[in-house]
Amino acid sequence: MTDIGGLKARILHWAEVVAPSGSEGQVREALLGAIRAAADTVRVDALGNAIATKAGEGKHVVLVAHADEPGVMAIHADEQGFLRLIAIGDVPAEALVGRMVQFTNGVTGVVGVESRVKPQDVGFEHLFVDVGAASQAEAQRLVPLGTAGVVQSPVVEMGPHRLAGRALDNRAGCAVAAEAFLRLAAMGRKVSVVFTAQQAVGSRGAGTAAYQLEPDLAIVVDAAPAGDMPEAPRMALRLGQGPALKVMDGTAVVPLDVKHHLEESARRAGVEIQYEVWPRGQSDAGAVQLSQAGVKVGGVSYPARRSGMMQVIDLRDLDAAVRWVVAAAASW
Amino acid sequence: MSHRETLRELMELHGGPGFEEEVAHRVKAAFARYTDDIRVDRMGNVIAHIRGEGASPRPRILLSAHMDEIALVVTEISEGGFLRVWQAGGFDPRTLVGQEVVVHGRERLTGIIGSKPPHLTTPEERRQAAPLEDLFIDLAMPEACVRERVTVGDRVTLRRETMDLLNGRIAGKALDDRASIAVILECLETLRGLRHRSDVLAVASVQEEVGVRGAATAGHALNPDIAIAIDVTFADMPGQAPDESFKMGKGPAIAFGPNIHPKVFRGLRDAADRHRVPYQVELTQGPTGTDARAFQIAREGIACGLVGVAIRYMHCSVETAAYDDIAECGRLLAHYIAGVTEKEVAGLSCY
Amino acid sequence: MLLKRLTEAMGPSGFEDEIRGVLREEVEGCVDRVYTDVLGNLICEKGVHQPGPRVMLDAHMDEVGLMITHAEENGLLRFRPLGGVDPRVLVSKPVRIGEDKRFGVIGAKPIHLQKAEERRKPLPLESLYIDIGARDRDDALAHVRLGDVAVFATRYEEIGVRCAKAKSFDDRAGCAVLVEALRETHPIPVYGVFTVQEEIGLRGAMAAAYRIQPDIAIALEGTVCFDVARAPGHGQGTVLGRGPAFTLQDGRTLADRRFLEFLVHVAERHDIPYQFRRVKGGSNDFGAIHRTRAGVVGGSISIPVRYIHAPAQVMSLEDYENTVRLVRAVLAELAKGGFQA
Repeated sequence: MTDIGGLKARILHWAEVVAPSGSEGQVREALLGAIRAAADTVRVDALGNAIATKAGEGKHVVLVAHADEPGVMAIHADEQGFLRLIAIGDVPAEALVGRMVQFTNGVTGVVGVESRVKPQDVGFEHLFVDVGAASQAEAQRLVPLGTAGVVQSPVVEMGPHRLAGRALDNRAGCAVAAEAFLRLAAMGRKVSVVFTAQQAVGSRGAGTAAYQLEPDLAIVVDAAPAGDMPEAPRMALRLGQGPALKVMDGTAVVPLDVKHHLEESARRAGVEIQYEVWPRGQSDAGAVQLSQAGVKVGGVSYPARRSGMMQVIDLRDLDAAVRWVVAAAASW
Repeated sequence: MSHRETLRELMELHGGPGFEEEVAHRVKAAFARYTDDIRVDRMGNVIAHIRGEGASPRPRILLSAHMDEIALVVTEISEGGFLRVWQAGGFDPRTLVGQEVVVHGRERLTGIIGSKPPHLTTPEERRQAAPLEDLFIDLAMPEACVRERVTVGDRVTLRRETMDLLNGRIAGKALDDRASIAVILECLETLRGLRHRSDVLAVASVQEEVGVRGAATAGHALNPDIAIAIDVTFADMPGQAPDESFKMGKGPAIAFGPNIHPKVFRGLRDAADRHRVPYQVELTQGPTGTDARAFQIAREGIACGLVGVAIRYMHCSVETAAYDDIAECGRLLAHYIAGVTEKEVAGLSCY
Repeated sequence: MLLKRLTEAMGPSGFEDEIRGVLREEVEGCVDRVYTDVLGNLICEKGVHQPGPRVMLDAHMDEVGLMITHAEENGLLRFRPLGGVDPRVLVSKPVRIGEDKRFGVIGAKPIHLQKAEERRKPLPLESLYIDIGARDRDDALAHVRLGDVAVFATRYEEIGVRCAKAKSFDDRAGCAVLVEALRETHPIPVYGVFTVQEEIGLRGAMAAAYRIQPDIAIALEGTVCFDVARAPGHGQGTVLGRGPAFTLQDGRTLADRRFLEFLVHVAERHDIPYQFRRVKGGSNDFGAIHRTRAGVVGGSISIPVRYIHAPAQVMSLEDYENTVRLVRAVLAELAKGGFQA
């Protein structure tokens, strides 16, 4: 059995780190810290992917979990010292109004909106951030243009199994991939883990990572939306009902042999699974699959209820995901 | 068996993006008449290698026709055992209402996409087309039986018998793009009677309908000198723009534009002129929605051509084509291939 | 006059023959090798056997344009855009068509005949036609072939104070900077690539970068600038005259922070003004280059251009000169090992 407490501690720690796409440096260090001792080689590539490999027996299985999260970037400071923002990845402007943003350098600010704009029309061009600066120069000193940030919100525990907060998608997946990597390495398997960069802007890191690693099998670990909220978009996934086998999302159709292998592995590991069909869903699976002459790709997802920039996840789904990923990787 | 008959069979087989195995099996059997060097790559692309004459290195020409058809996938088994679906490939949901489908569960099941009878619909409802999310598949069995046989993620394809219409025209599902597989077969048949220096890599590609994915990896792996995508285009219908309306029965369309290497275009056109193949020119202004889109930018870039026959009612279950166009398109490709020389290939990088 | 020669040459996406010929003439003799690839990219090698990082300098030579797709009975020509053209800028403009650069005009229904509500609506592409003066369809097709391409008929001219107007500063300005860089000698391997098909999806750059496998790549681009009447500070993109612009984030790229800091450092050290490109929309070839193979480090240096993709674009000659200086300085610093990834 997995130590759920250990998974939880890692997720709580990693979800605190601010790591919008392109600014994964801090989370990268934290993630690599958990697995460095078990890896033969550890490196960071041109796009910011963190890659660890353990030499060993069997086919080369690569575990892929994106380390980044959507966020914002400071793009302009006006004479009064207010900052203007653009989105990094898919961030709805209205979700930022009245919230605090935290930049990668630790500076925080309050997001306001121009008063003449109707709530339904709010775009990034109408938002501004007050970081307490009195002039353009002071604002730019506090937050140099190009600095990235995220919506500040703490991660909280809800009951014994659930966590809520930002960046759980996909620090939870990183925790699953890290733990599975450690176990597979301990088993003497040839295995790599990639904490990919720039997923939220279109899986830019995953493509270059797959190009370097040429996996025999890649397993993408990521969140998929749960559909068990009132009047939620139609998705069959239920929180706490087990990890999900990715059948298809907006980027990839999982090959049938991989799908069958994952089904069989779940059965052997005694893991109850769900099936994910995620219309238009974005994941690293497609970028990995289409690398070079093609890569066998599978996806193990955990349900996440999504609300604005927050997610709710269930640790039991993650615990089962670890056992499932290990079983599947060890028998490919 | 004539290739017209092969095409009829291919159209009635089921294979959407990512589950092309059944079609692949039949395509391999059809290719086997021309070579025993046939393999299936990691993505599922079927690749047949037909050698040219003389010592290597010989020019390598890739022909590709995608074998996947647009399909649906089960997203939810709802109360009463009705299935909700999403799409792999672009459907017009209005064409699905009342459609018979095959659900590929534990066993093959026949389903009907339900519709509300006019007696029960309000005038407002009748003015609106239902989006895909609101459609459902009825398997005519209790929910418990459905749950035993169907899982979320199971695929659904259209069900349609292939029909002969007047003037040698053929109608049914999946002419897009199995018609082009027939083009390749006709090409290989003609090519048997011709001398050709070039190797031909005949590819039945996968996952075109979800974004030319099979072509992306096949282009990288095979890295040919010339890649010619064969895909269907639009036949004329009232209300269509004149440059997107081709005549059925007037020969294949040869595409021109940024996605197409100008010398490959000229080579195809000249082959058509020389061998009296009727043709039409299709003007394009950017990356085309065909395998050529991926081939052109594979590795250091590949010289592309694009040809195809015009069909009506694309992405419906009653797609219609003129078989003569298919045969002529195959003949055009065979003569083009027979005429390609090393010198020409070397010149593709010279602008 | 380099800028005049480059901006007046024709080369819509996929049909770069004329501009490629002009560029080949401009660089021949100052580089070791010039060749084209199968897509039509013009690749120039200079000192590629020298030690040091392999630097790819990229400028796209294609421009937005039009393709003639149909001739009407009355001799008017229908067309479609090659690349992103806003139909609103086409009305009442002349174009040049095909290899012999025949003039054509795009007119509109006279205002006298329009209803009040018609005047408020932009004219869609389907209602615009090119008139070459043909009497009928046969006459038209005797002079223009379907598939011929057209570009704006705009002359290069210096106007205002140290500014110039022309068509296609996006990206002939970048091409000119690249030509100037290739005329100088550098102690490191330099690959200058004039790419095709940027405007329809960064396609040339993808294949070129795959071939060259650079250690460092820099896209030289003419970029969006809207520092005009009543545009708010954060809606300007860039400001004319304030120097070359560095991308923080655009539609296809998140800046590589190390390289961005390096560019800022070089500009400050050499006392060259610079600014940041402060808008997310749009992209340039670096968006494709950095994702090739195992990933490529680098960034882009852009010259502000008002009214890009429109018939008459405005650029500051000082920005242009500062960009030339900056690229020279960047190459010199790279040669000194000033950048370590």
